[in-house]
Amino acid sequence: MSAHSWGSLASSATARDILDSALAAVSDRSEFADVRLIEAEEMRSYISLGGDPDERIEQNIGIGVRVLVDGQWGFAARPLASAADAAVAARDAHASAVALAGSGKPVSLPPREPSSGSYATSVGEDPFAVPTARRYELLADWLAAASAPAEVAAVQAGINAKRQHRHYADTEGSRQHQHFVETGAMVLVTARGHGDVQRRSYPNSFHGNTAAAGWEYLSSLSMTEQAARVGEEAVMLLTAPVAAPGRADVVIGPQQVSLQIHESSGHALELDRILGDEANYAGTSFIRPEDIGSLRYGSEAVTITSDPTVPGTRGSFAFDDEGTPARAFNLIDRGIVRNTLSNRDSAARSGQTLTGAARSDGWGYLPVCFATHVFLQPGEGSLDELLQRMGDGYYIDDNRSWSIDNQRLNFQFGTEVAYEVKGGRRGRLLKNFSYGGITPQFWGSVEAVAGPSEFRSYGYPCGKGEPKQWGFLSHGASPMLVRDLRIGVA
Amino acid sequence: MSSFTAPVAPDALLETLQKAAASADADAVEIALLGRAGEYTRFAGGRIHQPQNITETQFTVRAIVNGHAARAACGALAFLDDAVARAAALARELAARASSPGHAVVAAADAVSPPLEMSVWSEDTVAFDGGARAALASSAMRQNAAAAGMFGRAVTQMAVVNSADVARHTLATEASGSLTATVDEGTSHWIDLHRSSSALNIEQAIERTVREATAGRGRGPLADGHYTVVLGPQAAGELIGFLPDFGFAGELAAAGVGLLAAPGAGAQVAAPMVTVADDALAVDGLPIGFDLEGTAKSRVALLDAGRVGAAVTDLTTARALGTASTGHAHVAREEPPRPVAANLRLEPGDQTEEDLIAGVERGVYVQRFWYTRLVDRVTGTITGVSRDGCFLIENGRLAAPVAGARFTHSVLDLLSTVDGLGSELRSQPVMNVWNGAATAPALRGHKFRFGAAR
Repeated sequence: MSAHSWGSLASSATARDILDSALAAVSDRSEFADVRLIEAEEMRSYISLGGDPDERIEQNIGIGVRVLVDGQWGFAARPLASAADAAVAARDAHASAVALAGSGKPVSLPPREPSSGSYATSVGEDPFAVPTARRYELLADWLAAASAPAEVAAVQAGINAKRQHRHYADTEGSRQHQHFVETGAMVLVTARGHGDVQRRSYPNSFHGNTAAAGWEYLSSLSMTEQAARVGEEAVMLLTAPVAAPGRADVVIGPQQVSLQIHESSGHALELDRILGDEANYAGTSFIRPEDIGSLRYGSEAVTITSDPTVPGTRGSFAFDDEGTPARAFNLIDRGIVRNTLSNRDSAARSGQTLTGAARSDGWGYLPVCFATHVFLQPGEGSLDELLQRMGDGYYIDDNRSWSIDNQRLNFQFGTEVAYEVKGGRRGRLLKNFSYGGITPQFWGSVEAVAGPSEFRSYGYPCGKGEPKQWGFLSHGASPMLVRDLRIGVA
Repeated sequence: MSSFTAPVAPDALLETLQKAAASADADAVEIALLGRAGEYTRFAGGRIHQPQNITETQFTVRAIVNGHAARAACGALAFLDDAVARAAALARELAARASSPGHAVVAAADAVSPPLEMSVWSEDTVAFDGGARAALASSAMRQNAAAAGMFGRAVTQMAVVNSADVARHTLATEASGSLTATVDEGTSHWIDLHRSSSALNIEQAIERTVREATAGRGRGPLADGHYTVVLGPQAAGELIGFLPDFGFAGELAAAGVGLLAAPGAGAQVAAPMVTVADDALAVDGLPIGFDLEGTAKSRVALLDAGRVGAAVTDLTTARALGTASTGHAHVAREEPPRPVAANLRLEPGDQTEEDLIAGVERGVYVQRFWYTRLVDRVTGTITGVSRDGCFLIENGRLAAPVAGARFTHSVLDLLSTVDGLGSELRSQPVMNVWNGAATAPALRGHKFRFGAAR
């Protein structure tokens, strides 16, 4: 059986009847309406040191309907137990919009040509077809490898996979079906001793790494070998020295750069945030609407792109969650802010370019501006060449602490590991490394970015909106050299 | 608009779940329903930009075979039989490949008695409908400030049955409110949660928040240094939310990490007036009296009169610690299951915020912390920034407004200096915890270090 043939909504025809019934309930009474019908299934297998395996598989089907009536939005979402739920959600959405008639400045969406089609993640081996025994043999191997050193106090190892049929329809005539499959893995080690506690993780410090791919992604991670490495490093960190505070040149590894992009670039460029829609929860941005096109955000070495058409990432898709076809946009072009991450509402209100960044957490939440696959364009050369270019300084990677203010300006990050670098060569392992700065000054101090061979992508969950919803997205980067960074700030 | 009703019809629900549990081909089985039907009025920029009406339900089946457990969840009752069959099949598969029995169990019926006496339903929240919420949003937006916020009501539903005759169900109301007011560069924020919408006192909150934002105009930078601080209830609540990370979560305690390992239970690590408990029997926050394993929640004092208390546990971590579960089982998205403190509460004192401020010759009032993250589990150090309604304190009174500033400081160090607690409590959600809340009064502490990265 194909990885794409599972589920009760694998057929676009089946979904279309439900979508149409929801739209029919409101289309003659609304300027615009759209419907997201989603069937999702997620599998998670975990094992902890000294514990039994923990297996879970979660399935849900639901529908979210959004309407625009007299310029006011309405939204309702509910689980889909029968086709009747579609009409109930539509009526509830319509009623919530009608109740707001005349309550604020009306929204008018520019007309959009309908876009229809389908998209499916490229899958080599279906992760849901992998036998349970095989998963737990791997998890046991990782656990054993990571916990080999005596001072390892705790290990968590996990495998995850998710598949989703996401159907979309709107009153403009768009009909879309996307089938996403993702696979991921994680190992997290905690070591205790010498009066200290240290952690190491692989392949991403945020609950592991997840890619839009099949089991072949997991197979590519060399998990057993890497689990052994991070287990040993966690123990080594217990007795490692701490870098002296001050200012230094630093090469930042791709995982930490990806987090830096997420916090100080992606969030800062969400147009709904820039316009104040998130002022009460996720925050605002130091970037103003009038800055777009002219603000110097970073050095000439910094070009940051949103491109959901890149396959294989958690931010990959053909249509965003309000039906806008995916396209690549440079958000930062050689240091200058050029575009934002926008949805139809924010683009219409501000006159900014619609960049197709409306994302929603399944069927239950409104599409808001989230990152897609947002990445730092690689430069040239290898990591070793970048370290040679730096000369003396530090190489750091793998986030362990992150904090930034609500305008995405003043940040402080810590990493799991740091290495002293002298004469371009890595030396001592250091612990508790931290650095801080101000966003445009930081990106303005980027001197060089390593080339495509060093590029890595990382999948992230992210929180936004009220009630809080999760966005699932991706960031990628090669290591980059930052001059004169303030370090040892924690 | 939709009626304010349970996500799943409660009539005969427990019987339906029990029947499904009985059908499982497993040694033991537990079924938990987590549901919420919420209505939310979110506003910003002079409009209600995100009215939302969201119903979510999840039925999670945990089946156990020879001590090995597997979970299967579905989103609607119509799919429950499939979930039961899948969970049982997965558990049988785990058991078949295991070289020894596992340790998973379901809660015993006697673990959930005596019944908890709790009132979690409030008729005033039932009346907190879309019209009432829109009127409040309009009121906030009519003030002389830019207003952004959200007012909401929800019915939270939780049910647990298991093959050991545990059968529990509750319907709880939830009222929520939050507001950020901006006047020039002055800002102020308010947030609160309660089972009762009247307890939120939203009209007063709007008036106060706008007044504080107005007072925040012309704010200047805060010089780096150590300060006596009065933390408002939201800032204080944010800090106590970190306590589980310092070893009061069962899995950390079982791994020998944190305060319960060293210096150990009974050690004095905070001021004697500081008691922080996870207390689902309190009326504040979002109490529910049992967890998703069906265990009745115990009040767990993490810090008891400043001394190291106990950890919150679920069935798994309780077994590892050789204790009984405290009723704090939780499964967060994209994380392994682990016990969480879902209703943290810093016990209040008897002073007003003004009393606390009056006792400070020179210091800082902090309304809110933002983006706080753990830096060092051993020392209890976190980092973050202060924001919104923050002011210098001079000679016992609020003085000039100050801008947000970065801090990196030990929560434990601050709690060890607390010499005053407010009487008014405020609640806020706990990130990534279903039905989680942290509740705190204002507090006064000393030698809090602000220092920005530049």
